[in-house]
Amino acid sequence: MGQTFSFTNIFGKLFYTQKEIRILILGLDGAGKTTILYRLQMGEVVTTKPTIGFNVETLKYKNLTLNIWDLGGQTSIRPYWRCYYSNTAAVIFVVDSTDKDRIDIASKELHLMLKEEELLDSALLVFANKQDQPGALTAAEVSQALNLTELKDRSWSIVASSAIKGEGLTEGLDWLMDVIKDEQL
Amino acid sequence: MSTSSYKKGDPYSHSASLPDKMTVFQECLQQFNASPVNAKKCRQLLSQLLRLIYSGESFPSQESTTLFFSISKLFQHKDVSLRQLVYLTIKELSSTSQDILMVTSSIMKDIQSGDLIYKPNAIRTLSKVLDPTTVSASERLFKNSLVDKNPIISSAALVSSYNLLPIAKDVVKRFTNETSETIDSYKKFPSDQFQLHEYYGSSTTNLPSTTFMYQYHALGLVYELRNHDKMSLKKLITSLTDHQALKNSLAVIQLIRFIHKILIDDESLIGQLFPILLSFLKHKSDSVELESCKVIISLQHLVNKYEFANVINCLQKLLNVPRTATRFAAIRLVNKISIKHPKEILTVNEELENLINDPNRSISTLAITTLLKTIGSGTIESESSIGGESVDRLINKMTSLMDEITEDFKIVIIEAIENLAIKFQSKHKKLVKFLTDLLRDDGSLELKTSIIDTLFDLIKFLKNDESKQLILMNLCEFIEDCEYTELSIRILHLLGDEGPKTSNPSYYIRHIYNRLVLENSIVRSSAVISLSKFAIICGGDVKTNIEILLNRCLNDIDDEVRDRATLSLKFIKNNEKRLIINESKFDLNILENKLIHYLNDESNFESKFDINEVPLLTMEELNSKEIENKLNNLDKNDDVEIESNHKSHQIEESNEISNELLKQQEFSSELSSIPEFSGYGKLSKSTLKPIYLTDKENEFVVTVNKHYFMESDDAKLVLQFNITNTLNHLILQNVSLICQPDNSLYEEDFILSIDELKPQETGIVYVVFNMPNIDDIELFNNFNNTLSYVNREIIDDNGNIDESDEGWSDEYPIEDLEILPGDFIHPIYNSNFTEIFDQLSFEQSTVVNLPGVKSLDNAVTHFKDLFNMMPLEGSQDLDSDANSHILKLFGKDIWNNKVAIQVRLALTGGKVAAKLSIKSDSDNVAKFIVESI
Ligand SMILES: Nc1nc2c(ncn2[C@@H]2O[C@H](COP(=O)(O)OP(=O)(O)O)[C@@H](O)[C@H]2O)c(=O)[nH]1
Ligand SMILES: [Mg+2]
Repeated sequence: MGQTFSFTNIFGKLFYTQKEIRILILGLDGAGKTTILYRLQMGEVVTTKPTIGFNVETLKYKNLTLNIWDLGGQTSIRPYWRCYYSNTAAVIFVVDSTDKDRIDIASKELHLMLKEEELLDSALLVFANKQDQPGALTAAEVSQALNLTELKDRSWSIVASSAIKGEGLTEGLDWLMDVIKDEQL
Repeated sequence: MSTSSYKKGDPYSHSASLPDKMTVFQECLQQFNASPVNAKKCRQLLSQLLRLIYSGESFPSQESTTLFFSISKLFQHKDVSLRQLVYLTIKELSSTSQDILMVTSSIMKDIQSGDLIYKPNAIRTLSKVLDPTTVSASERLFKNSLVDKNPIISSAALVSSYNLLPIAKDVVKRFTNETSETIDSYKKFPSDQFQLHEYYGSSTTNLPSTTFMYQYHALGLVYELRNHDKMSLKKLITSLTDHQALKNSLAVIQLIRFIHKILIDDESLIGQLFPILLSFLKHKSDSVELESCKVIISLQHLVNKYEFANVINCLQKLLNVPRTATRFAAIRLVNKISIKHPKEILTVNEELENLINDPNRSISTLAITTLLKTIGSGTIESESSIGGESVDRLINKMTSLMDEITEDFKIVIIEAIENLAIKFQSKHKKLVKFLTDLLRDDGSLELKTSIIDTLFDLIKFLKNDESKQLILMNLCEFIEDCEYTELSIRILHLLGDEGPKTSNPSYYIRHIYNRLVLENSIVRSSAVISLSKFAIICGGDVKTNIEILLNRCLNDIDDEVRDRATLSLKFIKNNEKRLIINESKFDLNILENKLIHYLNDESNFESKFDINEVPLLTMEELNSKEIENKLNNLDKNDDVEIESNHKSHQIEESNEISNELLKQQEFSSELSSIPEFSGYGKLSKSTLKPIYLTDKENEFVVTVNKHYFMESDDAKLVLQFNITNTLNHLILQNVSLICQPDNSLYEEDFILSIDELKPQETGIVYVVFNMPNIDDIELFNNFNNTLSYVNREIIDDNGNIDESDEGWSDEYPIEDLEILPGDFIHPIYNSNFTEIFDQLSFEQSTVVNLPGVKSLDNAVTHFKDLFNMMPLEGSQDLDSDANSHILKLFGKDIWNNKVAIQVRLALTGGKVAAKLSIKSDSDNVAKFIVESI
């Protein structure tokens, strides 16, 4: 390599060293996590298969660089969530609002996760997903089932969403960005 | 050979210092978990990590797993080079890390929509990450990649599918159509393939548009998938060759190997498949031609002379190419042919002579050893002047070459000379001279030892007394000025054994006596023993003179010399011949074995070690064993190839030959430990190789060994059936055999059956018969055999059976077993068949047709195996174009009768007829052999 220094390189570096915001999407299998990730990234609905492991995508949202990790929700994968907790600014917890049978399990997993030391400072956004389906629980009902009101010392919010229709997602994300910006300032 | 190309500090050598493992480990964790990821830094760290791994470092499971999870975080970065390194590293860590399934989805996404550069890496890594629970999720992905237009992606998918076979055979089986389709397809690199890498720069004009490598990979996979279906494999082969679908030479080579395998299993297909092999003898790739030659050579017994000439022509061409590796491979094959069929390669003699001067010493050495064989067969034997000239020329060339080559090569040549001299005894003179000349030159102990070994063997195996004398006299000369004590001792020992039998013992005595005066004490004491042998054998004046000489030794300054002299004088005086001359030797293998056994367990020490358990071998038997081993080594093909299971099988077999006596000993102690057999006396003989009574792939595999106890008055035959249960869902109980003899002189005595045989277990059923002895007329017998057992089904994963269900009994017919002459005969070597044959008094003769046998070669093997006798005078080798042949077999039966058989073979109209003259000390033996045919 020669001795030339390129200005674009130097500026490029400055530009990219801007902090990335790390976000986890968690929730039981089939809740719609992967669908939400790609809806956010590509703006369209993709067909998904159960996630064995994780998907990670980087996307620009309102001038911020978001680094979003969608972790698989199957029982066999859940134990590994914790390997990805560190430096997480926010957790998006997705609930299948039609899956009344498993909402208790979802609640248990949520509270278990929030106890983790590494996530003490992370904000929490809950999507009460699949609102387009008949018989879906409302956001309030989901909030109650998850005991969200019990949460102390944490910025949290719950938003009714439909990943398929694209409803509620930006709303939730906007709230999240505001919280994160506030905390970083 | 240059060894200096890897210098210290060279980035590729191990001596260049490796990065510190723990430092790299810590830095990896730090950098990979950082946010944002610094791609360049991470690439460097991954490279260091890989370097550690590639040079043999490994991480324990926990550290490896920690590394793995930190590396998985790099999937957030899109840098393609980083991604490639991530894949390489995960592939390496996959065997030591836990929970690697965590990257499955990310990899699958890369395969679906990732960058072309790392897609093949992703596919290969996926096959390491998948397990039986996740493999089906990737089925579609694999199918798409297999048929991808890009050859690199297709290859990656093919190789990965191949690697998945052990964990997911049923899934991969569903790729059969896609894989077959790929073999026939035309895939070329995308037009920008070579711009993807900086390496190629802009000079991409001459790069190929495809290499067809995927054909090779696809063929390998298809073979695994169709392996068990011979018909479809054959169809594949013919269809691929019909329209010359294979463009890749590795693929063609692979195809040739498959053809070989099929032919090994079923020789009758040669007619259909030979033309295909023939067509590959003219191919643009040397390797293909060589492979085809190699296969045809190994199947030479199925090919007629005119067709075989094509192979010779092809090799002749290849011997002349500039590529050293090709010349080497070609001459190796020529050499291989020369072992059995030296006449076939006379046409390439000119090439061989040129290759003696080849700059590559491996090639020149092979050229010489090959020439030694062809000259042996073609010319010297006829003693024509032309032959004489060419030997002279060859020996001259060898002599001049000897100055240039290293000792390793010299030793190879010396061995070749020995083999030649054993096989073709008429031409020993020049060779002996060559060896003895070489002995006089300077050389290391190793080289001299190999010459001495060769000369010793020649003395043992040459039948001509004159040549023996010549060698002995040369050895005398050698010890006059020999710097190696160990060689002097060996030679003195040999002179003591052989010298007294010659016409001029005093010549040897003089030389040996000189040792007493001139040498160190070790040599002197050997000379004492050697001289005493002359005294005891020659007697008369010789004896008196030697007594005088030995008396002088009583004043030697060395204890050992004095002791030996004193002892020897005493023995000579009392004429204790047995104490001086060894007429037999303990079998050293068995002696060692028994001693180890004895010493391993202190409780054995209560009784004395029983030397009588170790068999004594007469000199005749010893020599026979030795020459048998030598001939076997000669015929052994060192490069018999292919599959691993094939290989292990062959190794087993060759060990079997060398360990025959041990094996017999093992049987003997095994049987003697069974109380039911205690009154049977000594085990006379066993058939050592297990005989298969079922296919090797059967659900029950049954082999048998026959054990004969013929020493006591009522002879016993013990049939040892070895039964393996290969079914995983069945336990066999009360396993026994029903053996029906068709000769009423065989009466069943009792059966020792197996109570229970679990899956994958092997057990033994003994069936014991009272049998006739050699004085009875009818020894021959055929047993009709049926396996009987009770089936018990396994009902759970722990291998338990349902106790309430009694199971059901079943019978299973297996193949017949014959009592054969070879069961009673040992092969014995003798240097003069004709003489022995004439001496034996009883004669029987018969003529037979051999219906299943199609060539003389096969007939020779057939009779050798049937009689278990030793072919003498090189009569196991025959010319491939001959229509008749004489096989000379010699052996000894367990009743100590000599047996000699002369088999005249004639080939007419594809059928072999044999006329056998059997001569023996005993009329009964001869009759038995005739009847059994
Ligand atoms: N009706 C409806 N289906 C959804 C919605 N979000 C996801 N799904 C479906 O739910 C299934 C599981 O979605 P996926 O994103 O794979 O769930 P994950 O396991 O949480 O990643 C898929 O069939 C999606 O199409 C939604 O808002 N409405
Ligand atoms: Mg998912």
